[in-house]
Amino acid sequence: MSHEIFLTVNGQAERATVPASMTLLELLRESLHLTGTKEGCGIGECGACTVLLDGLPVTACLVLAVEADGCEVRTVEGEASDGRLSVLQQAFIDAGAAQCGFCTPGMIMSARALLERSPSPSDGEIVEAIAGNLCRCTGYESIVQAIRRAAESLNGRETRKSGPSLAVNGQAVKRPRRAKARDASRADRPRSTQGGGG
Amino acid sequence: MLGGFDYVCARSVDEACRLLAEPGDARVLSGGTDLLVEIRNGLRSPGLLVDVKRIDRLRRLETSGAELVIGAAVPLNVLVEHREVRRSFQALADAALSIGTYQLRNRATLAGNLCNASPAADSAPVLLTLDARLSVASPDGMRTIPISELFTGVKRTCLGPADVVTDVRIPTPSKLRRTAFLKQQRIRGHDLAVVNVAGSYAPGDRALRIAVGSCAPTPILLDPVDASGSHEAIAERVVELAEAATEPISDVRASAAYRRAVLPVLLRRLVERLLDGGGDS
Amino acid sequence: MTAELRYVGKPISRDDAVDKVTGAARYTHDLAVPGMLHAALVTSPHASAKIVRIDASAASALPGVRAVLTGGGLDYHLGLYMQDKRILARNVVRYQGEPVVAVAADTLDTAREACRLVRVEYDRLDPVLDPREALAKGSPLVHPDLDTYEHMRGVFFPQPRTNIAHHQKVRKGDFDTAIASADVTLTAKFYNPPVQHVPMETHAAIVQALPVDRAEIWTSSQSPYTVRHLMSVCFGVPHANLRVRVPYVGGGFGGKAGLHLEPLAYVLSKAAGGRPVKVVATREQEFNTLPSRQGLHSTVEIGADRDGVIGALKATYVWDAGAYADYGVNVGRAAAYSGAGPYVVPNCWIDSYVVYTNKIFGTAYRGFGHLEVLWGIERAIDMMARKLAMDPVEFRRANLLREGETTITGEPFTAGHGSPVGCLDAAAQAIAWGRPSDPVDEPYKVRGKGIAMLHKAPAMPTYTSCAAVIKLDEDGAADVLVSGVDYGQGTYTVLKQIAAEELRLPIDSVHVTWDCDTAFSPYDWQTVASRFAYMGGNAVIEAAADCLRQIRDVASSALGVAADEVVCENGTAFVKTDPDRRIPYAQLALGYTFENGNSIGGPIIGRGRYIATGLTHLDPQTGQGLPAQYWTYGAHAVEIEVDTRTGEIEILDIATALDAGKVLNPKLCVGQVVGGVVQGLGSALWEGFVFDKDGRFLNPAFVDYKIPTAKDIPRSTQQILLENPQPGGPYGARGVAEHPMISVPGAIGNALHDALGIEFTTLPLNYERILLAIRGAGEGT
Repeated sequence: MSHEIFLTVNGQAERATVPASMTLLELLRESLHLTGTKEGCGIGECGACTVLLDGLPVTACLVLAVEADGCEVRTVEGEASDGRLSVLQQAFIDAGAAQCGFCTPGMIMSARALLERSPSPSDGEIVEAIAGNLCRCTGYESIVQAIRRAAESLNGRETRKSGPSLAVNGQAVKRPRRAKARDASRADRPRSTQGGGG
Repeated sequence: MLGGFDYVCARSVDEACRLLAEPGDARVLSGGTDLLVEIRNGLRSPGLLVDVKRIDRLRRLETSGAELVIGAAVPLNVLVEHREVRRSFQALADAALSIGTYQLRNRATLAGNLCNASPAADSAPVLLTLDARLSVASPDGMRTIPISELFTGVKRTCLGPADVVTDVRIPTPSKLRRTAFLKQQRIRGHDLAVVNVAGSYAPGDRALRIAVGSCAPTPILLDPVDASGSHEAIAERVVELAEAATEPISDVRASAAYRRAVLPVLLRRLVERLLDGGGDS
Repeated sequence: MTAELRYVGKPISRDDAVDKVTGAARYTHDLAVPGMLHAALVTSPHASAKIVRIDASAASALPGVRAVLTGGGLDYHLGLYMQDKRILARNVVRYQGEPVVAVAADTLDTAREACRLVRVEYDRLDPVLDPREALAKGSPLVHPDLDTYEHMRGVFFPQPRTNIAHHQKVRKGDFDTAIASADVTLTAKFYNPPVQHVPMETHAAIVQALPVDRAEIWTSSQSPYTVRHLMSVCFGVPHANLRVRVPYVGGGFGGKAGLHLEPLAYVLSKAAGGRPVKVVATREQEFNTLPSRQGLHSTVEIGADRDGVIGALKATYVWDAGAYADYGVNVGRAAAYSGAGPYVVPNCWIDSYVVYTNKIFGTAYRGFGHLEVLWGIERAIDMMARKLAMDPVEFRRANLLREGETTITGEPFTAGHGSPVGCLDAAAQAIAWGRPSDPVDEPYKVRGKGIAMLHKAPAMPTYTSCAAVIKLDEDGAADVLVSGVDYGQGTYTVLKQIAAEELRLPIDSVHVTWDCDTAFSPYDWQTVASRFAYMGGNAVIEAAADCLRQIRDVASSALGVAADEVVCENGTAFVKTDPDRRIPYAQLALGYTFENGNSIGGPIIGRGRYIATGLTHLDPQTGQGLPAQYWTYGAHAVEIEVDTRTGEIEILDIATALDAGKVLNPKLCVGQVVGGVVQGLGSALWEGFVFDKDGRFLNPAFVDYKIPTAKDIPRSTQQILLENPQPGGPYGARGVAEHPMISVPGAIGNALHDALGIEFTTLPLNYERILLAIRGAGEGT
C-alpha cells in the first residue's frame, strides 16, 4: 500500500507517495535525487547515510520514509547556503579531512548535529559523535581536527592545538604539540570499553 | 525497498494491540534498528509494521518517587541524557551508551533492546539486577512482567504476538545503592558484547545481585550472592556462581575460552565497584 | 632546482574537496542513465560444487525482468595476468559467494525478487580450504584445466595438475652452505588471514551495450584502461569500441584495480537488448563475492654470525589465493623479490607459491603482499636479534641495505634509493627507543615498544606507462588530462601543483579534469603500486614543457625575437631582456593574431609521457633481474599498552618514517600516512575473514568484521618524511601511497614481545589472542 507523506528536506517542503517499505535513504537518493547521502552497508553500521531527522543524526537506511512524515530532514546538500560553504565545510577542506569523500557527507551531518548540541565540544565528544561514521581513508585525525577548528572558529576562539605531527627532513612542519592541552582533551575521551560506553 | 510489508502509525495502545492481533504477521516498529535489519536480511517477513512512536504514553520518561518509568518509545539518547537517570541509574546509562552508535541511539529503545532478546542485550543485565518490570498491553488488558520472566531463549521472549510493551519500570534505588555495568568488546568502536555483566548492591545488603549476559542462551540473573566475608571471598563466590550458571559458546565473535577467561575478570572488577563504591578505569 | 618552488611542496588543499563536502561529487553509486536496469545476483552457498541444474524460469517470467543469465551461456575467459575466471560460474562453483545467476530488471526489488525465485541444484564436492593442504598430493584440484589457461608467459608459471597458480623463486648465493655455517639460526612460521579492502563505496558499474559490439561503461575503478583492455580481449572487440568512464571513486585500496563487475553488466545489457545495466555490490557481496587480500602462511629461516651479520635467509610463502588467481599471481611474484625485507642477504632462497583454494579470491590490496610478508620477516628479524642478544634496532642497522650492496635480485643499492637507516633512526628516536616506557599506575597494564622496517617498489610490468595531455583554455588557463584515478590519495592535486609550477601559471589557473574517459583521457596503466604521482608527475612535466615550447614558439614570432629569448612567468610570455614586451597566455592559447588579422600558431596542446625504464623480467630459476623502478623505504615504531586482564591493546604512539624523496604536498602526504597507519592497525588488531569448516564466510558485514572507528585511533601519531631525492622522480619524489600500512603489524608484534615476552606469529593481534596467550591457553599466537 502507498502512503502520502509530507516532509521538509533542507528547508524545502516535499510531498511524496511511497511504499511502506521504502527507506528514507531511498526516498532521498532516488525520489528526490539528493545523492549526497550515501549507502555504505544498509544496516546502520557505517554511518555513510547519516542525515538529520528533526535535528538528530540517524542512519537513513534504517528509517522508513513513512516514519519521516511530518519531519524535518537535513542532508549534506543543505549544509551550504546561498552557494557559500559553511564554516564546517571549509574546515573539512582546510584540514584535508576528505580523501575519497564517500564518508564525508555522513561525517558532516554528524558534525553539524554535534556543533548544534554542543558548540564547544571536547575532543572526546567529537570522537563520540563521529564514532558511528566509518572512514577507511583518513584515519580520522584530520576529521577530528576539522571539527575542532570549526567549533573554535564559530566560537571566535583561536587555538594552537595541532593536528598530526609531521617532520620533513628533520624539520617539524606543524606547530609543536602542547602536551598538557592534548592530555586534557584525551582525559574525557572514553577510555574503557567497560561501563563508559562502547 | 526493504520488503513487502505495510505500515500503520498507531495513535493509541489499544489500536496497536488490535492491529497486532489481526491475522497476518504484524510487528511493533519502534526504533527499528533490529527489526528493519532482520527484514532486510530476510530473517523476518512481517506483513505489517505497527509504528508506536507517536503514542504519547510510550514516550514518557519520568520518575515518581517510587520508580523510573521508561516509555517503550523513548530513544536511548533521551534516556541517557535524563538527569535522574544519570543521578540514580548510572549503570543503566552506561549500558545504554554502550549500545551501537550515536545515530543508532537516536532511534533504538530500551524496550526494543529487551524485546529483541539477544543473549548479549546490553540493557538486560542491569535491569535484571534492578528488578525491572515491563508493562505490557494486549487485547486482554494490561499486565506486568518481571524482567526475570521475559527471556525464554535465544531471541525469544514470553511476549505474545499481540503484546505491546508500553514501558519499563525500575524501582527507584536508595541513595546508597550502587549499580555497575561492565562490557567486554572486541574493539573500542561500537560492538556487541563478548561478555557483559551488571551488579547491584547497597552497603548492609545481605546479598549482591549479579547478572551475566552473552554467556548463555539468555541473560542470566544469578541467585543472590552472599555478601559476607572479605571482598576476595565475595568475588570468588560470584565467579563460582556465574560459572556454574552459564555456558559460554564459541561463535564468530569470540571463543568460549576467551569468554570464560574474561567473565571472572569483569565480575571481580564489578564486585570491587559494588563493594568499594569507587570506580576503576 | 635552485629556485624556490611556488606550489610543489606546499600543503595545498584539494579542489575536489568542495564537491565532497557539499555532496555534489557523484560516484558510480550515484549515477543513473536513461532506461537503466538494475541487477541482482544469485551466489553459491557452497565452497565447491558441480552445478547440476539451474531453473530460472520463474525468475524470467516475473514482470519487469529483462535478462537472466547463467554461466552456461557465457563462454568468456577473464583475467589480468592469468585467465582463470568466468563472468558467472560455469559447470562448477569454486567459492561460497561466487555469482551463479544474474538478473537485470526494471527495479532492484524486482531483480532481487527474481533471484529469490531461481532454483539451483548442486552436487557438493569436497572443498580444499587450506593452501598448505592444497599443495599436498591428492588434494582436490580447484582448476583441473589449469594448463589450458592463457597467462602472461615468461612471467608467470602455473603448474598444471596442481593448485599452484604461480611459483616465484629467488636463488641468490648458496643458502645451504651459508645456513650450515651460520653461528646462530632461527626458523619461525607466521600467518596472515585474508582481509577485505573495505572501500566505503562498494564496487559498482553501469554498462550499456551499443550496436554493434560497442559499450559505454561507467565504473568505480582504479584502472579505466585496464578495464577497457581486458574487456577488449575477453569479448574480442576493438579497444575503440569500448568507452570507459570513471567518476568519483569512493576508495579502492587495490580492490578496484582490474576487472570486476563490468563484464557482467555488459553481458546483461546485451541480453536486455542494449538497456544500460547497473550492478552495485551490497556490503555483504563486497566482503563475500568481491575479492580480498590473499591470506599467507610464511616460514622464515635466518642464519647469522655471532656479530649480528645475516648470512642467509630462506622464506617459503604459501599464498591463499582463493578460487581465482588472476591478480594474485603478481602478488606472489612481488612478494618473492621483496621477500627478505630491506636487508643485505648474500645467500637467499625464496619460494613464493600462489595456491588455489575454494574460498573468496584475492586481488591487489594496498601493499601488494608486502604487509603480509613483512609481518613474518620483521618478526623474525626481532627474534633473531634477541637470539643474538642484540638490540633490535642495532641488529637492523647492521644489516640494512646500503651503498655498495645488492638486493636479493641483484639490484645495486645506490644513494638514489634513499636512506633505510635514516628511516630506522628517525622512527626509533621518535618513540625514544632505548628509554623504557613511562610507568603505568595500574599494575595490570604493561607497556612495550617495537620497531619494524618496510620497503616496497611498484610491482608493475616492465612496460608500464603513463601519458598526460595539457590543453590551454581561451583564458590562458590549463586543463590537465590524465587517466590515473584519484580515489582519495590526492594525486590530481599534486599533478595540478606540478603543472602550475612547470607551466608558470597561478595555481588557480590549472585544473585537472576529474572524470577520466578513455575516449579523451590519455593512457595510464592502473592507479596502483604507488606510481601515479611518480609517472603521472613526470608525464605532466613533459607535457608542460611541450606547452611552453609551443608558447615560446608563437610568442617569439609575435614578439620578433628568437625563441630562447622568451621566458614565461605567471601566465605571461615576455622578452627576457625587455620584460615590457609581453603577451599573456590567453592571447596565445588558440594561436596569436597580429594587428592586421594574420594568425599564427593554433590551439596549444602539450603532450607528455613516461614509461618504466630499465626493468627486466625476473629469471624464472633465480629471480634475478631488475623489477623495481624505485624503492621506497621506511620504518614504523610503536609504543603500546596492554591490559593483561582482558587482552585489550592500545597504541600510545606510532611513528612512521618514510623516505619520500620529495614531499610534493605535506597535507596530502600526512593524510596518506595517517590513513594508511590506521588501515594497517585494522590488519594488525582486528581484521580477518572467518570461515566455517565447509568454507562458508561467516563475517561478511560490519557487525562481525571490525575496522577501526574514530575511537580506535592511536593516542598519538607522528610522521617523519625524509627527502633523499629519487633520481628520475618528479622533483625527486618517490611513491608513498601504500607504505604507511606495511609494517604496522610487525611493529606491534615486536612491541608485544617487549611488553609481554610472548612471540606472536598470527594476525590479527586481537584482544582474545593476546589474553589467551598471556594465560598460556591460546591456540595460535
